[in-house]
Amino acid sequence: MRVSDVGRRDNALRQLEGVSQRLSKVQNQLASGKRIERASDDPSGASAALGYRVSLAFETQMRRNIENATSTLDVTDAALGSATEAIQRLRELAVSAASDTLSGDERTAISFEVDQLTQQLVQVANTNFGGEYIFAGHQSRNPAYTIAGEPATAVTYDGDLGVRARQVSTTDSVDVNIPGSVAFGSVFSDLITFRQSLEANASTGQLQQGISAMDTALDRILAARATVGSRTARLEATKYQSESTDLTLQNLQSNVEHVDIAEAIVELNSQQNALQATLGAIGRSSSMTLLDFLR
Amino acid sequence: MGMSIGLNTAVLALRAHQLAVDVASNNIANAQSPGYSRQRVLLRPLVLGGSYSAPTGLLANPGAGVDASDLHRVRDTFLDFQARTALGSDAQWQASATALQRAELSVGEPSDSGLAASMTQFWSAWHDVANTPTSPAARSTLLNAGSALTGKFKAIRSDLVAQRRDLDVQVTDIARQVNDASTEIATLNVKIAQFEAGGAQASDLRDRRDVLLDNLSLLGNISYSEQADHTVTVQWGSHTLVQANTSENVGVQPDPGNPGMNRLIFTSDNAVLDTSAGKLAGLTQARDSALPTLIGKLDTLAAGLVTNLNALHSTGFGLDNSTGNNFLTGTDAATIAIDPALLAAPEKIAAANAANAPGDSSKALALANLQLQQLMAGSSQTFDEYFANTVTVLGADVAQAMNNADGASLVMQHVEMQRQSVSGVNIDEEVTNLNLAQHAYNASARVITVIDSMLDTLINRTAV
Repeated sequence: MRVSDVGRRDNALRQLEGVSQRLSKVQNQLASGKRIERASDDPSGASAALGYRVSLAFETQMRRNIENATSTLDVTDAALGSATEAIQRLRELAVSAASDTLSGDERTAISFEVDQLTQQLVQVANTNFGGEYIFAGHQSRNPAYTIAGEPATAVTYDGDLGVRARQVSTTDSVDVNIPGSVAFGSVFSDLITFRQSLEANASTGQLQQGISAMDTALDRILAARATVGSRTARLEATKYQSESTDLTLQNLQSNVEHVDIAEAIVELNSQQNALQATLGAIGRSSSMTLLDFLR
Repeated sequence: MGMSIGLNTAVLALRAHQLAVDVASNNIANAQSPGYSRQRVLLRPLVLGGSYSAPTGLLANPGAGVDASDLHRVRDTFLDFQARTALGSDAQWQASATALQRAELSVGEPSDSGLAASMTQFWSAWHDVANTPTSPAARSTLLNAGSALTGKFKAIRSDLVAQRRDLDVQVTDIARQVNDASTEIATLNVKIAQFEAGGAQASDLRDRRDVLLDNLSLLGNISYSEQADHTVTVQWGSHTLVQANTSENVGVQPDPGNPGMNRLIFTSDNAVLDTSAGKLAGLTQARDSALPTLIGKLDTLAAGLVTNLNALHSTGFGLDNSTGNNFLTGTDAATIAIDPALLAAPEKIAAANAANAPGDSSKALALANLQLQQLMAGSSQTFDEYFANTVTVLGADVAQAMNNADGASLVMQHVEMQRQSVSGVNIDEEVTNLNLAQHAYNASARVITVIDSMLDTLINRTAV
């Protein structure tokens, strides 16, 4: 094939352009660490990469939700723990008050402590976490219980049975609250009745009702704590699941999006060699002309 | 008689080789000129006209000398034809690949700050409101995330719309380029016809006309044929563009079927220009098909978000017990926005399923979970998937256009190489020709000296 000078120049330029393009592509990939800069670099890879990003962000949010749910449940558990202690003390008081040997004055003294503990229990039931009264159901902006009288003559529940749930995985949500009426039942009115019985120095039989009321309350709270415990365990399992999903997704994302550095460096070297060789060949051949050999 | 023929032969030879030197010199001078075809002079033995009684046998006439029979450019019209097809296809795919690449840059995925990322941040913000429904911070974060998302929609869409306008400007500019080329071809037709009526070839004029035909085939769907009078007739699609000394003017008019965009027409009869090949095809395809499709998908996604979010949100209750509020306004990617009423009063964000239930966030949770529902593309894709799919299809289109452009470019380069191989100047070759002509010129001069000395012998040294 006959070769013209312009043809040879165009050819050399084209070869140079080709090598430079490949070289600059590898350079870019090494600099950014990314194999896919734009969707067109690998359309199906980009689709997978976008999917992984969405899933990773979703998993991160799920773990945020789990964290939020776990801390709400932890606070609930701690509150129920102090409630248990208070009620256990109240049961002891009820047992000793029901003894035949106690005088009216002694029972009045016990009634003061019962009132103290009742107020303490109301405070526990009005635990606030992050601006929300955790035992108030959906009425979480206001305290769950209001107390009237000194000593307390009435404790009213202002909350409702509303359940608050957190999404913790694509398919699963976990309730994070126990309405006060469920956790505490009639313990407050039982306590007021008990205190009034003490003040009235009522019969042993009446005072013994205080013991059974405290037993019922303890059962309720223990049941509530068991619920909280099982929810926390579920959250922990879900969190573990999410973390391992996260790792898998990160690996997948890295495989699709990121450059294999070793491979890229080998490619860089080979393109550099190609560029050098091309430049050398062009330099040598383009400097040769017949005129050099004519006198 | 014999000796004067010899002298004449030598003089003709001097002139012929002088011409060969001139041609080589012109070729060397134009070695780098784009579109130049190397020229070649054909030397052949001179055939004398008339008759005279020639001796026979060994004294038979040795010939009358040399004649330069033909001076023409070396050109393969079939390669021109191939090159022009390749040029058109290359220009078409380059235009379309460039336009699609720009669109891809505007969409800008995969990225940590693109629309997809804004969308996931938006859903996350809903979860945070669901976690803390009474928190003003969570609500204002949601409004910010929502504004960022609607802002992304608007930015990408207005970018794409601007790109369509830019493509339209390029389309209208083609009218000017076509008119420039076709009027000059018509002028050249006249000059070439006049020049070549005498039999010689108008090489330089033809080279220029070929460059113009190259330019035209790059722009659109042209075909051409050379007539007996050496003029060339050019067709654009099935409409005549140039015939002999006249060229049709191409104008621009608003396209009634394509609001805001223009189309090219022949001003003589308002016929619309064929857009099936060349740069015009690439630009038109991107402007009227690829970009509108992409904009349409963005609009569909935005509309899907507006409809589905509002349907759910309007049944919820705000902290102020208001209900029936929309979360978003607008109908497409250009108009989507957070409802201004919510921006003014974040407590109106309906996180609750009922009135007087500030701690209830089941509505917020349901809204956050819209992320997981297949509400797009005939209930087969989530919002995220619909957008990812849009990006993938665009990426595949870009990759395909780039592949086609590379392929067309390779064909074009190959044919161009062949064309150069036939018509391009090789300096070594010209130097060789120059050398040969120089030697022949020197030898012819020597012939004159020899004949001169023979005449001297005959005239001065012989006694009369």
